[in-house]
Amino acid sequence: MNNVIKITVYTMRDQMRHKSFYVLLGLSILFILSIRGCYDGGYTVNGKIVDNATVAWHVSKIVFHLIAAGMFLMVSMLSMKIFSRDHEDGSVVLFLSRSVFRWQYVLGRVTGTWALCLVFMFILHLTIFLTVWAKTGTFISGYLTASLVCSINLLFVIACVCFLSLFLPDFISALFTMGILFVGFISDGGYQLINSDIVRSAVPSSINLEPALWRVLYPKVFMVQAYADAIISKSEFHNMGHFHPLLNLSFFILLIMTLMLVCFNRKEI
Amino acid sequence: MIILDSVTKKFGAFAAVDNVSYTIQKGESFALLGPNGAGKTTIVRMLLDFINPSSGSITINGLPASDPESRKHIGYIAEQHMIPPYLSGFEYLSRHASLIGLSGKDAEKEVDRVLEIVSMKGLERKNSAAYSRGMKQRIALGAALLGQPMFLILDEPITGLDPIGIRDVRKILENLRGKGVTVILNSHLLSEVEKTCETAAIMYKGKILIKDTINAIVKGHETLEDVFVRYIEHENE
Repeated sequence: MNNVIKITVYTMRDQMRHKSFYVLLGLSILFILSIRGCYDGGYTVNGKIVDNATVAWHVSKIVFHLIAAGMFLMVSMLSMKIFSRDHEDGSVVLFLSRSVFRWQYVLGRVTGTWALCLVFMFILHLTIFLTVWAKTGTFISGYLTASLVCSINLLFVIACVCFLSLFLPDFISALFTMGILFVGFISDGGYQLINSDIVRSAVPSSINLEPALWRVLYPKVFMVQAYADAIISKSEFHNMGHFHPLLNLSFFILLIMTLMLVCFNRKEI
Repeated sequence: MIILDSVTKKFGAFAAVDNVSYTIQKGESFALLGPNGAGKTTIVRMLLDFINPSSGSITINGLPASDPESRKHIGYIAEQHMIPPYLSGFEYLSRHASLIGLSGKDAEKEVDRVLEIVSMKGLERKNSAAYSRGMKQRIALGAALLGQPMFLILDEPITGLDPIGIRDVRKILENLRGKGVTVILNSHLLSEVEKTCETAAIMYKGKILIKDTINAIVKGHETLEDVFVRYIEHENE
């Protein structure tokens, strides 16, 4: 276990050596700070004046999901190169020529990348949280909890990209994973839309539509986002099927990680 | 002690290593000789569990090579050893030290010791991207010597080194003699092998042609090079 922690720390340190990491973090924070002007405007919806706190609350929710989507891209880019770069620069030989189990190496690399991205996303969400608090005095409880809940999505993306990169070219493995997310977005997003208050009041029969089995079993990345949204909004969460999306995604992560370890164990270095 | 028992490694239909069996005793300085593609590096990679044998078994100090514990006391240099370009020599060695269980002052002392041995003191803080091939080989040798290993597996360790570097490596290997360190040396430089090793095996097309002490292999006025060429030419006939 000690080796896993060591490799996790090395992974985080190595990723943080890249100047692009800080540039990206700086630009993201700047972008978030730039939207704080939205909280000051006077807005009227259906003839009613909307107060700053409500505007801030809605904008924060939109930005919450935008950050998560941006993080999916960043995580894919970071994780697609883990194994190929280690192979090219000799890092894999550094670790595996010592008494390090292969599973320790894989777990260390995945955990390190995940921990770094989790912190990155949390900093961005924290920036919004603090900005809203400072500008409007509104304390969006559940916002940071939702950020931590969403981090499981990042782990899923890392596991998926890394696993696929054992067989496919790096970029294709990232693209393939994005494809998996996109299908989930259409499937789960459609389900959320059908179950939204507006659609339910307009088309009451839509409630009875049962989703196909593959949609129920599909990795629930979008549903986790919807669940996080429900935590922020303190609203009802419309789940698809009997399994909670966190359980569904944990199962897929476990499955992919197991397959990855089995395949990596057979890989020739 | 390292034991290879009927080890075969096939890549598709091609047998890179074909039913090889030999034992390397503790403290033995053993050279694995052969032309390119003879299967020397494949054997080294199997010793480190980078690849699995298709059949047969390899044990190091009583443990199967597939057990990471068997690598606990192994120092290794790859042919054209790569060091991550974003690490300095010091960081690279520190990582190795940490992975063999050294930490804090002990790790620093040990890294300092090997830096002296491989004559890289003063250059260790430079980024490895700025190192020449020879400097990288020196750092790699330093990493292999960390923690006073029981086994040294050196795959073409003098590739890229200048004559002074070659002499330094020879001195290091000579110093290790009699200290109980088992050395496995893959090299094309037969004159160096003659100076540093006690036993040798000549490999060709995945098979061991001869394994004996160098004194037994080289007879009369012949050199190791003469014997090597004779064996390979005989196989080609």
